Amino acid sequence: MDTPPLSGSDSDSDDSLVSDRELQDAFSRGLLKPGLNVVLEGPKKAVNDVNGLKQCLAEFKRDLEWVERLDVTLGPVPEISEPQPTPQSKDQKKAVNPEDDFQREMSFYRQAQSAVLAVLPRLHQLRVPTKRPTDYFAEMAKSDQQMQKIRQKLQTKQAAMEKSEKAKQLRALRKYGKKVQTEVLQKRQQEKAHMMNAIKKYQKGFSDKLDFLEGDQKPVSQGKKAAVKGQQMNKGPSAKRRYKNQKFGFGGKKKGSKWNTRESYDDVSGFRAKVAHGKVSKRPGKKGSNKRPGKRTREKMKSKSR
Amino acid sequence: MAAAKRKRRGVPATAAKKLKRILKDAGQPAKSPAVAGDVEEEEKDRIPGPVCKGKWKNKERILIFSSRGISFRTRHLMQDLRMLMPHSKADTKMDRKDKLFVINEVCEMKNCNKCIYFEAKKKQDLYMWLSNSPHGPSAKFLVQNIHTLAELKMTGNCLKGSRPLLSFDPAFDELPHYTLLKELLIQIFSTPRYHPKSQPFVDHVFTFTILDNRIWFRNFQIIEEDAALVEIGPRFVLNLIKIFQGSFGGPTLYENPHYQSPN
Repeated sequence: MDTPPLSGSDSDSDDSLVSDRELQDAFSRGLLKPGLNVVLEGPKKAVNDVNGLKQCLAEFKRDLEWVERLDVTLGPVPEISEPQPTPQSKDQKKAVNPEDDFQREMSFYRQAQSAVLAVLPRLHQLRVPTKRPTDYFAEMAKSDQQMQKIRQKLQTKQAAMEKSEKAKQLRALRKYGKKVQTEVLQKRQQEKAHMMNAIKKYQKGFSDKLDFLEGDQKPVSQGKKAAVKGQQMNKGPSAKRRYKNQKFGFGGKKKGSKWNTRESYDDVSGFRAKVAHGKVSKRPGKKGSNKRPGKRTREKMKSKSR
Repeated sequence: MAAAKRKRRGVPATAAKKLKRILKDAGQPAKSPAVAGDVEEEEKDRIPGPVCKGKWKNKERILIFSSRGISFRTRHLMQDLRMLMPHSKADTKMDRKDKLFVINEVCEMKNCNKCIYFEAKKKQDLYMWLSNSPHGPSAKFLVQNIHTLAELKMTGNCLKGSRPLLSFDPAFDELPHYTLLKELLIQIFSTPRYHPKSQPFVDHVFTFTILDNRIWFRNFQIIEEDAALVEIGPRFVLNLIKIFQGSFGGPTLYENPHYQSPN
């Protein structure tokens, strides 16, 4: 059995609860198991030599003018958005949660603000300049290149935000426009059905009033229609539609559109070199599988085959 | 390379003016009063150079250097501090095998009376020593959350070497070890008036706040007189470990019970 060192136990015997003898007794009685019985130290006491600190401070402190040191010790500017304007703002110091980044940074910001607000009048009194004149050129802590980079980044960020906002708005608008359009179409259908019923009734002789013909022009629906149409008209027919309209005509558009003039002769906009040489294939799968040779080539083939 | 250094009007221009005046006086003694009067008026309109108004009395010099094996972030932080504090001096990296009291000798050789020493262990943890060189107290901190000047989120800018305003939390006055630290921080971070490399304007503010038993450091630029601020950076958090009575040694005056070693 490892006995604790005698010197140790002697010095501790006044303070510790068990002494050497008692340990041996306890072991013989079987309360202590063999092995290393480590004396547990109490929790470490942190050194806090208050007097030493104060003395050190007294020796080390330099009595400089305030202008040399420019230090301020102030709490942060109180928040504006406090619901209860209690007068005891000093005691009611809401402990800033260090995990909450925003709150923490805001508290630093406000502390700096209060310091600046307190100090500026004093500096003006002592005639220490705080504003840099516009023609005073000197080296800055960050180079111009760096500031340029920062500005670029801020600009791109702002542009991206604006773009996303616009896209969102457009999407919302489209949804709304679609909704309105369907509503209008439905209403039109209803009107039509109603009208047909009324006409049939009249034809069959159930009613002999022709009032339904006048009740047609409702200004409200036309106003809505115009608004919806306005939204739709901005986009107009799609590009595909426009191309087809242009190619196959759009109800009488073709009359007088082909003239054999110098301008039409000189106009080669409809010429596509690849198409002319037969290199463009409309079907990407089959390439030139059914390329019928020209007349000359066919005649040659015919004559050769014979 | 964009020209970072812009034209500086101050001492050289006034010296040139003085030369001109002397020549003019020598050449035309009859006209000298009028000429001198003109030149003087021009000088009054010009902004005074940083040194001509007063004498530099507060001889505070800070030695900023580090040990070997520091990361790029620490190196940038050190460079930023050197740039912000014109009363600082740089030194080469120290070998970690040397004992710490060697630093006192280095300080003496460089004629510095304060020191900021960065020590990096295992390429991960960064410790910072702040000390008053010959006899005074020193403190060891663990540095966390370092953000340097070059980060793009720090949008402010300030004159190189302009004097800072130091703002402290009221909690610094409550406990004795914090008052000692406050005095140490004031003496280290405040730029002496009329220092030859300083600018006479006060356009940025350092904030030291005690939160969660740590000291948070921020640097803001003062844009408007109504206290509109923008952060310049750098920013870091100091976790106090111990305060010693001597410089880099001596009896421990204070030990932080909340400090837990990062390993």
